[in-house]
Amino acid sequence: MNADTSPLRPMAAGAKIIRYRGVIKRYGGFQALGGVDLDVHAGEVVCLIGPSGSGKSTLLRCTNGLEAIDGGDIEFEGAMLPRDERALRAVRTRMGMVFQSFELFPHLTALENVAEGPRTVLRNDLVEANRRATAMLAKVGLADKASSYPSALSGGQQQRVAIARALAMEPDVMLFDEPTSALDPETIGEVLSVMKKLADEGMTMVVVTHEMTFARRVGDWVAVFDTGRIVEQGPPTQIFDAPTTERTRDFLSHLGWTG
Amino acid sequence: MSFDWSVVWQHRDALIAGTATTILLTVATMAIAVPCGIIVAILRLYGWAPMRALATAYVEFFRNLPLILVVFWAFYVPPILTGLGLSPLATGLAALALNVTAYNAETFRAGINSIRRGQVEAAMVLGMNRVQALRRVVVPQAVRRILPVLASTWVSLFKDTSLVSVIAVTELAYVSMQIRAQSFRVLEMLTAMAAIYWLLGYPQAKLVDWIQRRFAITE
Amino acid sequence: MDFDFAVITDHWRFLASGVGITLLLSVVSGLTSLVAGLVVALLRLYGPRPLRVAVVLYIDSMRAIPVLVVLVWSFFALPILTGLTMPPFVAALVGLTVHLAAYAAEIVRAGVESVRPGQTRAALALGMSRAQIVRRIILPQAIVRMLPAFGSLLSITIKDTAIASVIAVPELMRQSETLAGQSFQPIEVYTFAMLVYFFILFPVTRGVDIFYQRVAHLGRS
Repeated sequence: MNADTSPLRPMAAGAKIIRYRGVIKRYGGFQALGGVDLDVHAGEVVCLIGPSGSGKSTLLRCTNGLEAIDGGDIEFEGAMLPRDERALRAVRTRMGMVFQSFELFPHLTALENVAEGPRTVLRNDLVEANRRATAMLAKVGLADKASSYPSALSGGQQQRVAIARALAMEPDVMLFDEPTSALDPETIGEVLSVMKKLADEGMTMVVVTHEMTFARRVGDWVAVFDTGRIVEQGPPTQIFDAPTTERTRDFLSHLGWTG
Repeated sequence: MSFDWSVVWQHRDALIAGTATTILLTVATMAIAVPCGIIVAILRLYGWAPMRALATAYVEFFRNLPLILVVFWAFYVPPILTGLGLSPLATGLAALALNVTAYNAETFRAGINSIRRGQVEAAMVLGMNRVQALRRVVVPQAVRRILPVLASTWVSLFKDTSLVSVIAVTELAYVSMQIRAQSFRVLEMLTAMAAIYWLLGYPQAKLVDWIQRRFAITE
Repeated sequence: MDFDFAVITDHWRFLASGVGITLLLSVVSGLTSLVAGLVVALLRLYGPRPLRVAVVLYIDSMRAIPVLVVLVWSFFALPILTGLTMPPFVAALVGLTVHLAAYAAEIVRAGVESVRPGQTRAALALGMSRAQIVRRIILPQAIVRMLPAFGSLLSITIKDTAIASVIAVPELMRQSETLAGQSFQPIEVYTFAMLVYFFILFPVTRGVDIFYQRVAHLGRS
């Protein structure tokens, strides 16, 4: 069954925000991605799961040009991803990225962190940038931490500020690279709640995660990676309840996933 | 403007002797300053309170004084106070040693302190006593951190030997400037002096880089 | 053995002018070497290849040649080459700047390189240009990280001004030498000089330490 026209993919009617066709990425002699085909539709939450080193994060980093691909195509909103740095910058403003290590700017307060993109890249004036930033901080539930520095925030709070920072650019798609992997168990929940809220509001999201419960409940489409390729993709009900490939079954059982 | 570079060749014997003195001073100072630095560091870390205070005072004092002043002080003051006169070379050596010992003491102390407490605790729960823990766990790790700094101090010392020229110790700087004064070939001699220091110092600096790369801490 | 510190009080103006020159030379050469060091470091990090090689050669050479040699060369030899005579203070300024800028450049480079690469990635993901990233994200953090090393360099700068006495700059060391020679009271004079230097340098190093403790978190990413 063609992944695109599967009746279990309700969002497939929407516009294709991202199309990966035969994406190849090599690091010297090592092939990190060996031909990846995947579509991401408007409003969809696509979760990428799989063992460490299987290429999930690499694909994400290729999506916004942090890494250049060696073969295949990536299309974003109907146009090929440019190679030219200037054009790529313009594309990046339409994609938001959240990192495993948060990467908040330590010399800026939470508010300043969130306002940095609008100020420096979108060239908003200070008032407008701060207005946006305040709104985004409120959206992730941290309005009261606006003047705190990252060093004073917990991991979960820092990651939520990082999400607000990406949202302040009003992106068309949000890319999450293992957003909760570096968090204490107590704070994972607050970040996943924010992500669920975003998904409910219709944000297009590509999420690399080990949080299977999240992928099961919030994901619209799940792609299982192994050694640089997608071995299976489908709706969460298929992947988690009735996987069709051995590799997927192995991976899930190794995680202790009992459904 | 005419330059006569042959003056450098003509006085090569004196220059070589001066260079030898520079090297001798460097080696001799370190030979004194390393063991002394260890002693002072141990006093600071493990001595009784008055010893600790004294050692700390010594280190802080000499790290906050210009070396050239220490050289002058060592040359003029002890002879008046004690009636003893040391040769300029010995005086210079003493001043350098006092100075470098202070820096080394700080290096050793910081190196030992940088080893996490957990390492000592892990050694003790295995049943080692304090001395064993120090010898087998702390010191080997501390040495890795200390060596690059010591190498850097060595190169600084090599350059600082030029300061004892002010009390007429016949090391490279003094000899060069004497020849300049006698021959009036200012540019040639001063450039030669710089060039000789460069020839000796540049490889040492690169060696320090290598040592720092080799012993880089990856935790 | 009796000490007569009247020699100090009788000539306090003479000594005080020395202290003034010491402080002036320290501050000015500190600033010029900071600016020069920043330029050199940026050239090394982001400049074209031939320029980078030249810069590395310059930096490593300054690690090999003593300050004394640089100062003496600046005062005696440079005028022969350029035809310009410089007063001792200016020659000392030139020599100190050339020597210290190399160390300042290394501090800047180490500071910049110590900023996590993830910070650059996060800034790129927001769509910032390389220039914006260096200016708004890398340098602010790097500057905080450089503070302890710069504090140390300031201390070295102040100590190096004493070497300028060799080229007759009338800073404290030189004034002390003159006074000690004329008065035949080296103990009192040099001891006084030691105390002055100590009470200038000690607060500087302590002050930098304390300031750094308070702002360190701004550089920790």
